[in-house]
Amino acid sequence: MPEEVGVIAALLLMMLVIGIARPRFLNPINLFSLLGNTTFLGMLALGMVFLLAIREIDLSVGWMFNFSAVVAALLMVAGLDPWLAAFAGILFGACLGFVNGLIAVTLRLPAIIVTLGTYSMFQGLSLVVNNGRAIVPSDQSSNFFRVISYKLFGVLPVAALVFVLLAVAMHILLHRTRFGYRVQAVGSNPEAAAHAGIPTARVRLQTLVLMGAICGLSGTMYVGFRGAIDPNEGSDFVLVVIAAVIIGGTPLSGGHGTIIGAVVGMMIIQVISSGLIFFGIDATWSTFVTGAVTVLAVSLDRLIKYQRSRRAETRRETHG
Amino acid sequence: MPEPMISVRNLAKRYGGVVALEDMSLAVERGTIHAVVGENGAGKSTLMKVLAGVVRPDGGSIEIDGRPVAIGTPNEARLHGVGMVYQELSLFPERSVLANLFVNREPVRHGLVSVSAMERRCRDLLAQLGLDVDVHAPVGRLSIGERQLVELCRVLLENPRLLILDEPNSALNQRETERLFAVLRGLRSRGITMLYVSHRLEEVFSICDRITIARNGRDVATRDIAELSIPEVIEGMIGRQREALFPPPLPPRPGATAQELVVSDLAGGRLRQISFTARSGEVVGLAGLEGSGVGDLLDILFGLRRARHGTVRFPDGRGLPASATDAARRNVCLVPADRRRNGLMLDKSILFNISNIVVGARDGGSPWFSRKAALGRADRQIDALRIKGKPDALANSLSGGNQQKVVIGKWLEIGPQVFLLDDPTRGVDVGAKREIYGLIRSMSADGGIVLFSSTELPELVGICDRILVIYQGRLVGEISGDRMDSRDVLHLVNTGEPAGKPQVPDAGKAVSA
Repeated sequence: MPEEVGVIAALLLMMLVIGIARPRFLNPINLFSLLGNTTFLGMLALGMVFLLAIREIDLSVGWMFNFSAVVAALLMVAGLDPWLAAFAGILFGACLGFVNGLIAVTLRLPAIIVTLGTYSMFQGLSLVVNNGRAIVPSDQSSNFFRVISYKLFGVLPVAALVFVLLAVAMHILLHRTRFGYRVQAVGSNPEAAAHAGIPTARVRLQTLVLMGAICGLSGTMYVGFRGAIDPNEGSDFVLVVIAAVIIGGTPLSGGHGTIIGAVVGMMIIQVISSGLIFFGIDATWSTFVTGAVTVLAVSLDRLIKYQRSRRAETRRETHG
Repeated sequence: MPEPMISVRNLAKRYGGVVALEDMSLAVERGTIHAVVGENGAGKSTLMKVLAGVVRPDGGSIEIDGRPVAIGTPNEARLHGVGMVYQELSLFPERSVLANLFVNREPVRHGLVSVSAMERRCRDLLAQLGLDVDVHAPVGRLSIGERQLVELCRVLLENPRLLILDEPNSALNQRETERLFAVLRGLRSRGITMLYVSHRLEEVFSICDRITIARNGRDVATRDIAELSIPEVIEGMIGRQREALFPPPLPPRPGATAQELVVSDLAGGRLRQISFTARSGEVVGLAGLEGSGVGDLLDILFGLRRARHGTVRFPDGRGLPASATDAARRNVCLVPADRRRNGLMLDKSILFNISNIVVGARDGGSPWFSRKAALGRADRQIDALRIKGKPDALANSLSGGNQQKVVIGKWLEIGPQVFLLDDPTRGVDVGAKREIYGLIRSMSADGGIVLFSSTELPELVGICDRILVIYQGRLVGEISGDRMDSRDVLHLVNTGEPAGKPQVPDAGKAVSA
């Protein structure tokens, strides 16, 4: 049985409970807009799965998102073709990730420490560049903006489709490529990975660059979708992203990750906050509930792990 | 014999399928220094841990002053007056000497920790130990020898009646060792009883009054030191050998080409001036005590550690690998000593682990990870090495022997030319040992260059064509052919001198001189 069955069941159950009480919730238009809302944070969650799998955490994702979006938007303002500007934004995100990775690898520091610093550096530089104001590309006649915000069949945003395709690609990258194998190996036991000749430093660097590039992609798509980037957009992303990945079943202890779980985890968070609105509960509660669900998810995870390790132990004793 | 201070009877302890203590009995007279010697796995450390309350025995009894006692926790051991100085340093390097000396027992005045009371209480003891250090400096700045003395001081502050010393001078130099021995003699004259575990026999003979020889979890002999000689003790430690354990050498397979690994004047880590040549088709043993530098040698050859000096030529004509990745790509393999920490991804399957090198370390070929190909590799090695487990079984669920076979199997997938085996049978049951010996034979018959380090001498003698002995970072001897006999090797390993030479002068005289 695939490991994601649990979270998927939890998501469906939540949707069912809300849907029975408020049938309007299950309206396809509402559901697709829900998926649309998860797009930008959801993409970051996909990258974060790789980080948790390699036993690292990147705290700077929100500002890499913001900074790349700002740079892409400024290039559009400067008159660059929006498609080219978007491509530049992705590259710029990758560069930010490269900065994180280079520091982490050369100084042999955990990424969480490095990105605690670059979190503020990226935020600060982004503020310097945008002067504390929203950047709005004035000429939005390019089909870049139309394509990104277009709704297929009138319901499914293209951005959401890109998110789903990216999720499929990342799933394959994690489970079916040499890179994904190495990520899991290093995360499972860095010492053993080094003793097996796995180039651990390079894999860590690549993972952080990947995270940056995904932030760049998410950021530039956000510009295309909303037509502007706010100076503070992204400030509250990182904790939600990590929560989604953990709810999805990726352990903090590394070695293992689930992309499908992260997508479902992100949707669970979305369903909670929009469900609360359907029940007429003040939206300010959604942050609390998201936190509580995260704690619940990790507790369940602990419990399952504990039982599994006990079973393995007894098996070893009897075999021994 | 007067009533012993402490006596243990028929202690038994098993870890899963591994027997650590079978039937261990011991009586220690008051005010004596009593040595316990034995090979690795003889049960010495487990015995000490039982007395210190760290390990609970499965059976047997302990009496202190003739009264039966139960030592369930380290705290109870302390209450009974048992203090243990650990072999691995258990100090907090970032904290000051004082803070380390009074962990959890800080003297308190007005609700605050009193530094002056701490200074007062340890001043005399530190002077006795000859430890002249700034007590406010973090322990991490002290030399290893000084740290060992801090550790001893910490235990002595508890005023133990029985002091257990597990290889207390493994990290000390000659002068520090002499100082330590003077302190121990002083403690003995004050009536403190000591249990002394050590590998260095000549030191045991210079400091101890009585000696108990342990083998395979039993006490095989207890005598006054005057009644024994070093060769007799070594004889007792080794016992009769189990010849059947070691399969005979295989004929070299046709087509296997002759190759060489040439090490000249190598230095790095603890090593100095190491030179030797290993050829394909032979198994070269590496013997040395913990900390002698054998581990450093393997690490350097595998690219995990830098050499300071010297050159090495590998069969591919090139020098030392730049990194472990480089080593793996050049067909050099390392089976690390600490299997669980360095050898395996425990929460991953056999299938995943077996692909470690082919997919993880190598770069050529397809960038995809094919589960089917990985399954093929896992099936092949499970079959060839008779690993008891399905490809999807987690490494953590396997027994020690099967875990080690997974580590070996993942390397066999790339067909290495140079095998660096660091104590590959540690913590492995006898059946799996025999199978691993068989694998080593076929590695060398296939034309591989095999360097085999072990802490168990019978195994080195049983499997190796010749043995290089490293003592305190230097290559002190090479033993091969008929001269290869556990006694000679053990003597060389423990003293750095060939057997038959005059004994090391009594360390006691050196101190008084």
